[in-house]
This record gives sequence, C-alpha cells and structure tokens, in this order.
Amino acid sequence: MAGLSTVAVWWDPPADGPTNMAADECLAAEADSTGGLCVRFYGWSQTTISLGGFQGIAEARAVEAIRGLPLVRRPSGGGAIVHGSDLTYAAAVPKSHPWGGTPQVLYDALHGAMVEELAARGVVAWPEEVARVGADFFCFDRRAVGDLVMGAGAAGGAPAKIMGSAQRRLAGVVLQHGSLLLVGNPDLRDDVRHPGIADLPGPRGGIDAEDLSRTWVARIATALGARVSGQAAPFMRGREDRVSELAARFREEWWTARR
Amino acid sequence: MAADLKFAKTHEWVRPETTGVATVGISSYAVEALTDLVFMQLPAVGKRVKAGESLGEIESVKAVSDVYAPISGEIVEVNTALPGKLETLGQDPYGEGWLVRIKPDDPAELDRLLDRADYDKLVGSQPH
Repeated sequence: MAGLSTVAVWWDPPADGPTNMAADECLAAEADSTGGLCVRFYGWSQTTISLGGFQGIAEARAVEAIRGLPLVRRPSGGGAIVHGSDLTYAAAVPKSHPWGGTPQVLYDALHGAMVEELAARGVVAWPEEVARVGADFFCFDRRAVGDLVMGAGAAGGAPAKIMGSAQRRLAGVVLQHGSLLLVGNPDLRDDVRHPGIADLPGPRGGIDAEDLSRTWVARIATALGARVSGQAAPFMRGREDRVSELAARFREEWWTARR
Repeated sequence: MAADLKFAKTHEWVRPETTGVATVGISSYAVEALTDLVFMQLPAVGKRVKAGESLGEIESVKAVSDVYAPISGEIVEVNTALPGKLETLGQDPYGEGWLVRIKPDDPAELDRLLDRADYDKLVGSQPH
C-alpha cells in the first residue's frame, strides 16, 4: 500500500497511554511491511505523562507537579511529555527508507516541514542548533539539535521549545514519537507549565490541530516526493485485538517501573 | 578493524576467542550513526539469549536502540565499565568498547553472519 511513493496517514480518536503506545508499535510493523512512511496522529483520553524509555520511575514519582496523572512509558527515548494540549504523532519508516538511516535524518525532515508549515501560518519557529546536554525530566526543558523553538521564554530570555521528537530504532524499522505543544497544559501549575505556541509572541487566533496535521503531512510528502494516502478509518480499526494484546504490556507495573 | 570479526545486519560484531567464547560489540558505523550516547543497559551474566533477540539497549540524545544478540548462548561476561564510560564505544569500538562475551550454543551460527567485506557493502548501501 505505502511504498516509497506514498505517505500513509491515520487520525485516531483519543485513547489512554497504553493503547496509544501499543498502536504505535503496530504502526512500526505496518511501516516494516509496506516499506513506506506511516504516520499516526492521535489524542489522549486524559492528560497523561509519557516517560522516555530510559527515565527512572523514582524520578518521575518525585515530581510533585505531575502526581496523580497517569504515566505511560514510551519505547522511544527522550524526556517526559505532558500530553493533552499538544499535537502528538508517531511516524515509522523502515531503516532501508531514505529517511530511515541515521536518527537526525527523519528528525530533521519532519521538523523542517513543520517549520515551513508554521511559517505559512505566521508562526516563526526554527530548529535548535546547539544541544544542551543534561538530564532534565521534561522533554520541553531539554534541547537537542533540531528541536523546534520560538519566541522568548517566560522570563523573556531564551526561546521556548515547542516541538521535540525521539525515536526507537528496532531491527528493521524506526519509530519516531513527537509532540508539538499548541498551548500550555491547563492541568499543570503555572510555574511548571511549558508554554505552547498560543502562549508565545506571535499571531493570535489559535491553531486547529487536525488542520495543521493535514497541511504538515502534505509538506512531508512533498519533501519526500511522495503523495499522501489519508486513511478514512482510524488506524486501530481492524487491529483492535493486536493493539489490546500489546497494550497489556504498557499497563503492567514492571514495564512502567522498569528503570 | 580485525579481519576475524563477523557482523550481524543489525550492526553487532562478534569475535570468536580461543577460549571458546565469543566477544560481542557494536560496529563503529552504528556508534557514529547513533551520536551522543547517554545511557546503556547490558544484560546480567548468566542470561541466555537467542540470536536476533535484544540483549541490551543504548540511548542517544534522540533515540533508544536495541542491541541484538548475533548468536545464541549464555552471557558469561559483561563489560560493566562500559555504561559509565560510553565514550569508549566511539574511541575503541572493536577493543575496549566490547559489550558482552557469549558462550555459543552452536558455533555454526557464526557462519551465518557477514564477513567484513559483506558488512562494508551493507553499510555502504545504507541511507544516510
């Protein structure tokens, strides 16, 4: 279905963390079998913290600001993300795909297309050029080369990070998770809430997440010289049993607390 | 790079030792591709692995990657110093940067791995 000439895209309704992580593993399998770029956009049934694959559970449980919110551990790397007011995506490509080689290639391709799309909407964002090495708990406090930043932070100083992504590189396929922070999450206190696009200097009026996802993925396809194959049905339809089976692992305490 | 190394398509190398065990590491190509390594988890001594199964994980700034067992057997030694000195992987991937030593279940499995020339061809064909 997909192949190099197609970007297959699905839009899924909100689900809980384990279901979303399980669906993303299925997405990786889909990319592996079709040979093309597969993208899934999805929401969260409630504000949820996704931990990076290597983050310690003790560290997570010590963060008072997120206490009581559901946790799910991603298979991908990076820092913790507070989901609920972001545009969340998963993208998967075989390692043999032109964007499946080194980690930075896929990262830059998707983030570059987002820079273009935001610019078309009057939002000036740009890729971070200098990594800030550290072990900050939250993804949006970390800086990796290629992260998207814009405007000025709450203190009027450094630009704020608005988009980050991280990968799980399996034997034959790459799964990339990413988050574009549209607005600060209202379930967090002011002093720990990361600003989203709507909170930073720029055009007013807000961004419709689904509309943005459609125009962004069109730019991704253009950059790849491919066409978008938008799927009318949710990705999970027809895959319910497999997703449910895989989600069981993400619900297990041993998985969440494995670090 | 020593000529006696064998390689898996997933970028692990294996060196058969005269003691009957096989030393396993990851190739310089894989180390360079991952960039900025920050964490590594290796298995415990005594763990049994099957060829193709994950035996550990490496995290770089942007990615978590599995390290796959290139052969089946029992882990008999682990380079416990490596997770605290990840720069060794970049400096000496085929020497001090070894990961584990495996007592092979079936030494013939080594024959199914790539030799250096074939691995170089594979790496040369990988997208960048």
